[in-house]
Amino acid sequence: MALQDVSFDVMPGVCHALMGENGAGKSTLGKILAGIHRPDEGRFEIDGVVQYFRSPLEAQRAGVGIVHQELSFCPNLSVAENICLSHLPNRAGRMDWHRLHRKAQACLDEIGAECDVREELGRLSAGQTQLVQIAATLATGARIFVMDEPTSSLSAAESQRLEGLIGQLRRRGVTILYVSHRMDEIFRFCDTVTVMRDSQHVATMPRAETNESELVRLMIGRAWQKLFPEHVERAPGPERLRVEELSSPGKFRNVSFSLCSGEVMGIAGLVGSGRSEIAMGIFGLDSSMTGRVFVEGQGVSVRSPREAMAFGIGFVTEDRKRQGLVLGMECGENMTLASLDRLNWNGIIRRADERNLVTSFFEKLQVKAASAHVPAQTLSGGNQQKLVLAKWLARECRVLILDEPTRGVDVGAKAEIHRLIDELAAAGLAILMISSELPEVLNLSTRLMVMRNGRVAGMLDRAEATQERVMQLMAGRDTQENLRPH
Amino acid sequence: MKIDQPILLNVESAPGSATVMASGRQRFKETGLLGVLLALGFLLTIFGGSLEERNRDTGSTNTVNKFLRADNLGNLAKDTSFFAIMAVGATGVIITGGIDLSVGSMYCLAAVCGAMFLNYFGPQGPGAGASPFWVVPGAIAICLGTGTLCGLLNGLGVVGLRVHPFVITLGTMAIYRGVAFVMTKAQAFTSFPEQFTDGLIRHQINWQGASLYPVPLAIMIGVTVLAGWYFKHAVTGRHIFAVGGNEQASLFSGLPVNRVKLKVYAFSGCTAGIAAMIMLGYYGSASSDAGKGYELDVIAAAVVGGASLTGGRGTALGALLGALTIQMINNGIVILNIDQNYSQIIIGAVIVLAVLLDRINGTLRDKRLARAARSARETQQELAS
Repeated sequence: MALQDVSFDVMPGVCHALMGENGAGKSTLGKILAGIHRPDEGRFEIDGVVQYFRSPLEAQRAGVGIVHQELSFCPNLSVAENICLSHLPNRAGRMDWHRLHRKAQACLDEIGAECDVREELGRLSAGQTQLVQIAATLATGARIFVMDEPTSSLSAAESQRLEGLIGQLRRRGVTILYVSHRMDEIFRFCDTVTVMRDSQHVATMPRAETNESELVRLMIGRAWQKLFPEHVERAPGPERLRVEELSSPGKFRNVSFSLCSGEVMGIAGLVGSGRSEIAMGIFGLDSSMTGRVFVEGQGVSVRSPREAMAFGIGFVTEDRKRQGLVLGMECGENMTLASLDRLNWNGIIRRADERNLVTSFFEKLQVKAASAHVPAQTLSGGNQQKLVLAKWLARECRVLILDEPTRGVDVGAKAEIHRLIDELAAAGLAILMISSELPEVLNLSTRLMVMRNGRVAGMLDRAEATQERVMQLMAGRDTQENLRPH
Repeated sequence: MKIDQPILLNVESAPGSATVMASGRQRFKETGLLGVLLALGFLLTIFGGSLEERNRDTGSTNTVNKFLRADNLGNLAKDTSFFAIMAVGATGVIITGGIDLSVGSMYCLAAVCGAMFLNYFGPQGPGAGASPFWVVPGAIAICLGTGTLCGLLNGLGVVGLRVHPFVITLGTMAIYRGVAFVMTKAQAFTSFPEQFTDGLIRHQINWQGASLYPVPLAIMIGVTVLAGWYFKHAVTGRHIFAVGGNEQASLFSGLPVNRVKLKVYAFSGCTAGIAAMIMLGYYGSASSDAGKGYELDVIAAAVVGGASLTGGRGTALGALLGALTIQMINNGIVILNIDQNYSQIIIGAVIVLAVLLDRINGTLRDKRLARAARSARETQQELAS
């Protein structure tokens, strides 16, 4: 039961935003509309006709399509096959490749997407995959689009393109149900907003009649709290990590920087600019990386995460479900996963110490869970992220690399994580923070490195880092002087 | 022993939040399977009928239940022990998300190696009369060592060659049996020192007029208890579950993923060696045909016992109970005088049914947990507002 008594109307050709914190039930609602989940009660009408979908196919027939990150198609098939998957052109069961490719090309042309229809889908970027998905949904004749967090893994340029596409769809009279918690997007191109909280409908209103702080208040059910902690100038401590001329073929080149205790160095850049790859390299996950890494002044060679951890490096990965957590394991077990060697007594886990550790981090990070014994998958995104953070804090690492620390985290937890990052830096940790959210990088970093095409495009101090300047460096609309590696 | 408290955070142990740990611990996981076993036993007791049994001491006859009598139960326990021990090993592999198809062949190779050794020092062998004080431990070491070595080779293949365990163990399944075949030249080995058979594994006790062989049963219980404890309390045990639950996250958390895999395959081989040892001692012979098709029975036992083939789930006790369930059905088919030809159909159906029941049970548990998590969130929010 993830939903209770949700009702609202949407007019044709309208972009209707569905907002709410993670776990508020907005995605569930989207999935019910698209026939993936079935409601226990209630109904919805399309053009005045009551509909009840038992499968995505029935929803498709009624003109409802869903664009969803996790529901992309078969990565092993070609773009064309994916677009026409539900009705592959054939002659008596034999594939008609010519017609297939023509049909797929027509679909892509319609939305102005440029990619080879013969390409394997798995080779496309997240943004391109999404375009293919939209083209395919359009090809089924959908009049209602459910878009579930479509921009969560897109770069800024790709997001802008999506925005244009949404406008185009609306002009054709397509209704869009836009599930997101990104305020800026909602204010840019949505007409009406429905806010959900704890599986319940809170309010539906025209966008023009509301403002950001009201929406946040409705979403979290309490007053807007400050998203970023007050910045306090701190003198950086001793150097913790220095890298010189790190290069990895096809990923990044000549990256050098040093990171001191108490610093939060932000890394900004578009998706694919080599940000995460550098983090992976430092953490010993890139065997083809060359260059020098110094930890506390000592030259080290890091060939595996184990070795990186031995040097006091921790890594909160971008994709917490795949790389951060063992979802089926208990929350507490996830927390101590990286520090089991410290709880090791002749090969046996010291249960009492483990319990104390878990309890203290539950308290400290205010993890909201029924107990430390429930599987990690039952927690909301923000609380899962806290588990991952706790995992590394329990190890007491001295250098912490954070890759998208607040992705898919609701507003309340976001503010808490931001405060925690600041506290950790103040306590002497050296933090390397990769983020696609500019406000986050700008507000939390004491220094900022901007990446473009695998190279350092610029190194900015806090004072000189403005949104415009960083954007310029990221996108490359800049003079040559900033291209020289630092 | 004190953990280095994170210097960066002013973490204090918080006695007030002890409730966080206390509530919601997962219930005993094998309740469902135990219920099935009890029901099965109950049905067999009622519908199995009874037979006339002669008391050896007094010569008088008395009526006993066909199922619920010492002879039958002892036999059932002995039959179960081989499979249960190997199923415990297979469960370790399955928890890491792997599979071991070579258990039957490892069992066979270990048995053959042990048999050749015992035969050499047996009453008719060239080494007859050797002191049992080293022949018996030698035989045990050879069985366990051969099994462990085979398992280790499986593990090296999985880790080193990066080939799916299904393929590796499919290959070694044929290879190990082939080696056994070549070694024995397809002949059976018998005539073992009595100290190993009747003196140890086939040690007999008489109880209420029935002869019972408690050693296989004791070894089975010992292996299960040790493995169960190891899975739950050892660092490696935790590693096994983590690797099976999410291999990438385990690697990113610095776990020795390859070493963990080596260990589970070696353990699976070791359990096959233990089972082979019991078989040698109990039946007193071995040939290269031993254990043919056991791999599927063993995997079936693990799966019925709640191990998930996708990894991350399984228990040692479950494996034992799973093996017991299958053997009990086998036993029941005999007791109920059902045509033997039907036994495979019935067992196959039971395997699917057991897994289905387990999944329903899991869904219910997930729902309960989700409800608990939601109510916790609500309380927190109430407290916050």
